This record gives sequence, C-alpha cells and structure tokens, in this order.
Amino acid sequence: MAAAALRLAGVSVGYSGRPVVTGVDLELRPGQRLALVGPNGAGKSTLIKSVLGLAEIIDGSATVLDRAPAHARAFTGYVPQTGNLDPDFPVSARQVVMMGRYRRLGWWRPARAADRRAVTEALDRVGLADRAGLRFGLLSGGQRQRVLLARAIAAQPRLLLLDEPFNGVDAVSQEAIVRVLRDLSAAGTALVISTHDLAVARDLADLVCLVNGRQWAVGTPGETLTAGPLRQTYGSSAIDLADGRMVLVEP
Amino acid sequence: MIEPFAVPFMGRALTEIALLALICGPVSVFVFVRRLSFVSDALTHTVFPGVVIGFVAGGMDGLFTGALVAALLTAGVLTVLTRGARLTDDAATAVVLTAMFSIGVVLVSRRTSYTSDLTAFLFGRLLTVTPRQIAETAVLAAVILVALAIGWRAWLFRAFDPAGAAAAGLRIGRLDLWLNVVLALVVVAAVRAVGTILVVALLIIPAAAARMVTDRLAVMALLGTGLVLAAGYTGLLLSWTASLRYGVALTAASAVVLALVLAYLLLLPVRRWRDRAPVERTSPHELVG
Repeated sequence: MAAAALRLAGVSVGYSGRPVVTGVDLELRPGQRLALVGPNGAGKSTLIKSVLGLAEIIDGSATVLDRAPAHARAFTGYVPQTGNLDPDFPVSARQVVMMGRYRRLGWWRPARAADRRAVTEALDRVGLADRAGLRFGLLSGGQRQRVLLARAIAAQPRLLLLDEPFNGVDAVSQEAIVRVLRDLSAAGTALVISTHDLAVARDLADLVCLVNGRQWAVGTPGETLTAGPLRQTYGSSAIDLADGRMVLVEP
Repeated sequence: MIEPFAVPFMGRALTEIALLALICGPVSVFVFVRRLSFVSDALTHTVFPGVVIGFVAGGMDGLFTGALVAALLTAGVLTVLTRGARLTDDAATAVVLTAMFSIGVVLVSRRTSYTSDLTAFLFGRLLTVTPRQIAETAVLAAVILVALAIGWRAWLFRAFDPAGAAAAGLRIGRLDLWLNVVLALVVVAAVRAVGTILVVALLIIPAAAARMVTDRLAVMALLGTGLVLAAGYTGLLLSWTASLRYGVALTAASAVVLALVLAYLLLLPVRRWRDRAPVERTSPHELVG
C-alpha cells in the first residue's frame, strides 16, 4: 500500500500553545476524499492550516506524505476561502492561476510555454478558460472559487486542502468544483474538504471527520453523518424533530 | 520647450527625477497592493533624524549615510510592528513616526541655520543635485530594480493572498522585511533631491493614479514611471518659469509633487467613469448564489 497522504495521531492543533482542536486521529490514503464537518468556529480552518504547517501541532504526531507538515508544502495544495481576498486587487484570473506555478518558477525564471499551458489547462478544467483575462474581482463568487481551485491544480499537488469551497457558491460552480474534485481523486490526489454542508459531505466524501473543538467521530459518511455523532458535534444546535429526523442550526 | 533643460542644473535635476521615476513606478505598485502607504509615510519621517545626524556629522555625504542607516533600521522595526496587521500596529507605527520626526526637529533646531536646513531636509534640493549624487542614485536604482526583479512574484502572491502564499512555502516575514528595505532604499535615493516629506508622494501617488486607468500591474508600473517623468518635467518647467518670468520662488521639488498630485486629480474622473461603465458580466445563471 502506498504511503498515507495524511496521518494524524492524537493531534491537538492551535495557536501560541492554545489548542483549538484536540484529539484528532485519522489516516487518509492517496485518492481518498475527507470531509471535515462541523459548525462555524469548530476549528476546521485551523486543522487545515496545521496540515500546511501554518498552525501549531501542540500535541500528537502529524505526517503529510511521510514528512513533517512544513516540509511537505511542495506536495500540498491549498484553496483558501475567496471571501478573504480583496476583490479590488488588480490581477487577472490567469495571473492568479499562474501563482500556482510560482513554486516551480522560483525567483528568477520567466514563465515558459509549459507553465502557460498548465495554467490554461487548469482554467479549462474548471470551465473558465474564456474568463482568463478578466480581473479576479469581476468574477462571481463561485467563479473566484474555481479560479483558486485552478491555481491549486496548476501546482499539481498530491494532497489538496480546501477551506469551505462551497461557501456562497452558485449551483453551476458547485457542480464544476465537485466534478473536478472527483477527477482529481480518481487520479490519486488526496483531498481534505472542510464544509458545514452535510449534503455535500455525504455526496462527496469517502471519509468524514466531525470536529467541534475536538474530533467527535471519524468514519464513512454512513457511520458519522447520523443522529448520534451529529448531536454530539453540534450540541444544542442540533434539534430533534418529532418524526425522528434532526435539523442543525447555526448558533 | 527644451531650452531650460539645456542649463546644466536643470538637466541634472531632470536626470535625477528620471532615475527616481524608474524605481518609483514599480515600487509604488507594491506600496499600493500591500497598502503600505502609512508604512511609507512612517519610513520617510523616521529617516529624518538620520538625515539630520548624518548632515551634522558629515555634510551632504554624511546625510546619505545617515539616511541609509536610519532607513534600514526602521525598515526592520516597521516589519516587526506591522506583523499582525491589527489596529494597535497602526498606533505603534504612528508613535514611531512622530517620535522619530520630533527627534529630527529637535536636532535640527539646535543649528543656527535652522530654517534653511529644515526646508532642505523636508523638501529637498532638487536644483543643486550634483553629478556624484546622480551616480549614487543610479547605483541605488540599479540595486532596487534587481531586488524588484527577484521579489515581484513572491510579493505579488503575498499581497494578494497571504495565507495561500504561506501555504505555498513563502516566508511572509522575510518577504515583508525585504519589501520594506526596498522602500527604505527608495527613500534614501530620493531624500536629498525631494526631501523627506515629498518622497512619500513618489512612493504612493504613481501607482494610485495609474490604478484609476488600468487593472494590470505591469501597466500600472509603467504608467507610474511615466507619470513621475511627466510630473518631473512639468514641475521643473513650472518652477523655472515661475521664478524667472514672474519672480515667484517655487521650490522645484514641491512643483514636481504638485504636478504629480494634479495628474492624480485629473485621473480621478476616469476611475469614476470606469466604475460606472458596464463590465463584461457572467451569464445570469452563474450569478446565482
């Protein structure tokens, strides 16, 4: 069996020694899709940052492709939330995707035909080849998310982490993103997707990790996205309906 | 109207401005996208005491060294202070700015030629630029352009998406220090010609003005350089005409900066017009959500 794409054993992560998420135990193999599910503020982003070596591993051991997180960045990709980016920033969609090639380009080397081809291909895969020249901020929220996904693809990562990729994303973009993610995992890329959308998690993930301050459950969607673990994870935000079903409300 | 620039000191002033234009166009783009206007302002003010101490110790050559030392020191201090990008960092930057500037004023006020010295430090002596100063500016400009050529990619990524850049393995702290050092070098290069106050205009206005007419970074840089050149030419001519024809003493550097500000104001309506102009929009079903 190939080496694990991600292995977290008894991991606590946080900032300046203060844990945000504790007790995370999971293993992700190449080509597997992991959904991090939990309410807002559960620590999903912090957990993702720790895999990128940007948040502190306070306890336990974390290995990314058999390396320490900070030493695996050449093989990991990251798709941030678009909401954090300035829509007025004067860059085109193409320039944003080219940023995915910067690591290969290094400081000096000008972009070559191969780099430009990779950028065009990545934009094509997310269905935005015709928008390449447009300023990033002029695209819709869903399209911006797809551009950021294209940027990650252009770097050809072996482990790709996406922070709430479906937040504020229209149906067309969501469909495009899901299709690309399925293709990527079929080609062997391991995926970590944080979301608070249970339908997306059920539909897309092989493995679900329920987090809210700590890991509450990990397993297949069938094992985890059930009343018991969800009630534990969401606490008072989980409301039982009379017919045995349950709704989750954001506090 | 070429004739005034045939006069040696006018020609030297224009050469100096041209060298500054070359670096200020691209550097101001990064000041703009990193929102470093306030940091640049702080840098120009903190250089002031260095300029005074340098001048007192060693005249115009000492001024250069003093500015260089002060600028590099503050580049480091400001990098540390602005790390978190919180409101308190702004306050800390302002404290450093005012403290250092006050020290500079106290130092300069101990001199007998207080007023003329202060004016020279604050607004520069563009018309007395020497060939040696031009050579020094040229060397600094070359260093800055090389630093830009190496850094622009990483700076761009870091400015657009700090978390993404860090995730891609870029070291944000070092990149910020590097950019601040480049800003500091620009201040040092420009300080004798345009003074500590006006150099901030060269660091901020070119890209801010260019941004009104373009969305493209490379065009912003080129246009910024063009604007400084045009403002330099116009300002020098204005200052020349005002003093020779009308007997009005108009500081050359202030005239240059005023011309630059004028360009900014003239371009403002373009931005408004562009904002109102319909942009190419996505198909309606993609706007949902």
